[in-house]
Amino acid sequence: MRWRGTLLYIGQRLLLIVFTVLAVSSIVFIGIHRLPGSVFVSERLRASQMQALLHQYGLDRPLWEQYRDFLLGLLHGDLGISYVNQGVRISPLVGREALVSAEVGALALLFTIGLGMLLGVLAAIRQNTWLDYLFTSTAVVGYSMPNFVVATFLLLVFAVFLQRATGGMLYYQIGWTGTFGSLGEISIPAFALGFPYASVVARLTRASMLEVIRQDYIRTARAKGLPEQLVIVRHALRNALIPVITILGPLVIGILTGSVVIENIFGIPGLGKEFVQSILNRDYNIVVGVFTMYAALVGIANLLVDLLYPLVDPRIRY
Amino acid sequence: MGGRPIAITTFIAEPMAQRRAGLWTDAWRRLRRNRLALVAATYLLGLVGVAILAVFWTPYSTTHQGIVLPYQGPTPAHPLGGDSLGRDVLSRLMEGAQISLLVGVGTQVVVLALGVPLGLLAGYFRSWLDAALSLLINIFYGVPDLLVALILIVLLGHSGLGQIIFAIAVTRWMDMARLVRGQAMSLREREFVEAARSCGSGTFKILFRHLLPNALGPIIVQATLGIPQAILFEAFLSFLGLGVQPPTPSWGSMAADGVQAIRISPHIVLAPTIALSVTLMAFNFVGDGLRDALDPRQRR
Repeated sequence: MRWRGTLLYIGQRLLLIVFTVLAVSSIVFIGIHRLPGSVFVSERLRASQMQALLHQYGLDRPLWEQYRDFLLGLLHGDLGISYVNQGVRISPLVGREALVSAEVGALALLFTIGLGMLLGVLAAIRQNTWLDYLFTSTAVVGYSMPNFVVATFLLLVFAVFLQRATGGMLYYQIGWTGTFGSLGEISIPAFALGFPYASVVARLTRASMLEVIRQDYIRTARAKGLPEQLVIVRHALRNALIPVITILGPLVIGILTGSVVIENIFGIPGLGKEFVQSILNRDYNIVVGVFTMYAALVGIANLLVDLLYPLVDPRIRY
Repeated sequence: MGGRPIAITTFIAEPMAQRRAGLWTDAWRRLRRNRLALVAATYLLGLVGVAILAVFWTPYSTTHQGIVLPYQGPTPAHPLGGDSLGRDVLSRLMEGAQISLLVGVGTQVVVLALGVPLGLLAGYFRSWLDAALSLLINIFYGVPDLLVALILIVLLGHSGLGQIIFAIAVTRWMDMARLVRGQAMSLREREFVEAARSCGSGTFKILFRHLLPNALGPIIVQATLGIPQAILFEAFLSFLGLGVQPPTPSWGSMAADGVQAIRISPHIVLAPTIALSVTLMAFNFVGDGLRDALDPRQRR
């Protein structure tokens, strides 16, 4: 009985995701195909060659026919082919890039929550000490620093100064090997991506922790002789977690959008890099494809976050 | 509770005077005590001064190349050195301040123009209007804002300052609309609104003469905190090469240039990133200070 409600809820949400993805990609598709000029504007092409290219990609047909074909393709999971890198199919490309972005994003999320909660809890249980002031002011600084600024400082430290200091023995090489990179290559971009949000989490954790540790059941736990660590970790932290879970949704969206910038700095072959590249190349099919992928990712991430609520707070049920 | 003797007159007169002071005098008194916010506000005033100065005068041209040696580090004549094309970094930083502030304030003007009337109407009338606005807000919260701004810039055929401001405002109006809606919803139940209605005030007058002034505090705080977000967005867009087009300098595009040369001359990337961070921080401090001053109950 309990599970049927949950399943129904998941079904509804999935339907909503499909609808959103269709709507978003339609808007972007139509908007982008109404733009004046074409992808193939280039002085080296003669009019006849241009016509042939337009014909080859079906761009000379009426917009509604192109849109119909796009929708049919989308329903089969086919996003068409690239205009610039001729013959490259977009679906497998974007799928692989989504995995890369998800990998970096997941690690960033881990950093964000781990670091943020650790700092927040420490600041709360040492309220009004130098540790608290240090962490709180670090959080304000972190909150005001765009992720590309954090990335720049990390690069200066790990790629430039570390190389000079160790005489080139040990340093961070900007770049990416293979499809998924190595742990060393991922961790610095992931940290840059997560750090600004970690300070948001830290502020929130501190505030909710301060509220929780003043409550009666914490006093009860202490009074019955539980060690302080157990009181904090098992009793206080669990309830302090609830507000943090509620901002997970915006957090995931923030990390996804932040990855657009971070991937371009660190040369990570993910969705974000592709998105900017394809916009600059006017490879509009890929722009639509990547945006569609983003819409789907955000929808699924939000669904997962919403499914987390009842696990942490049993009062919530679907 | 020091041992300082207090004259009986101030003891009595002060609380009385305080009670008579209006919201704004009260807020100003509280804000003056917040030293961090004052320092930040002074910095921002200075920045506005620099931005206005940059309209008329910069030490060197912001677009002429080869004024300095490319990648030249700081020298007395060029305190922040030269960039990859031999342009003076300090001059470009000054003009960049102008762009950042224009985008930040311009975006908030659009956001106010969109969010305040929508929020007032939805909060006051409820019904289908509110349902429609809430749905719209939820849809906008569900899509990644930076990506929408990017796509909008493409669709608008990038990119003058106006397009950038519009694109950012479209992705940022919801916070304001939601806030004003909430304020209107709680204010409409208050007695003074009922009194105004029973006196025969028209809807327009109730919305803009009675509801709006009472919601002004939170609106000002929200608008102040929205400015750094908009500046950040512009920096993101320009960093990716989709914002302000070269050769016009923006802190974002200057940082993007600098990252390329991070190994040989880090000063090119440090100047705009530090300026950006300090400015964002200052706006956040002032916004937080205003929040504490205007609405002490909402202390976080």
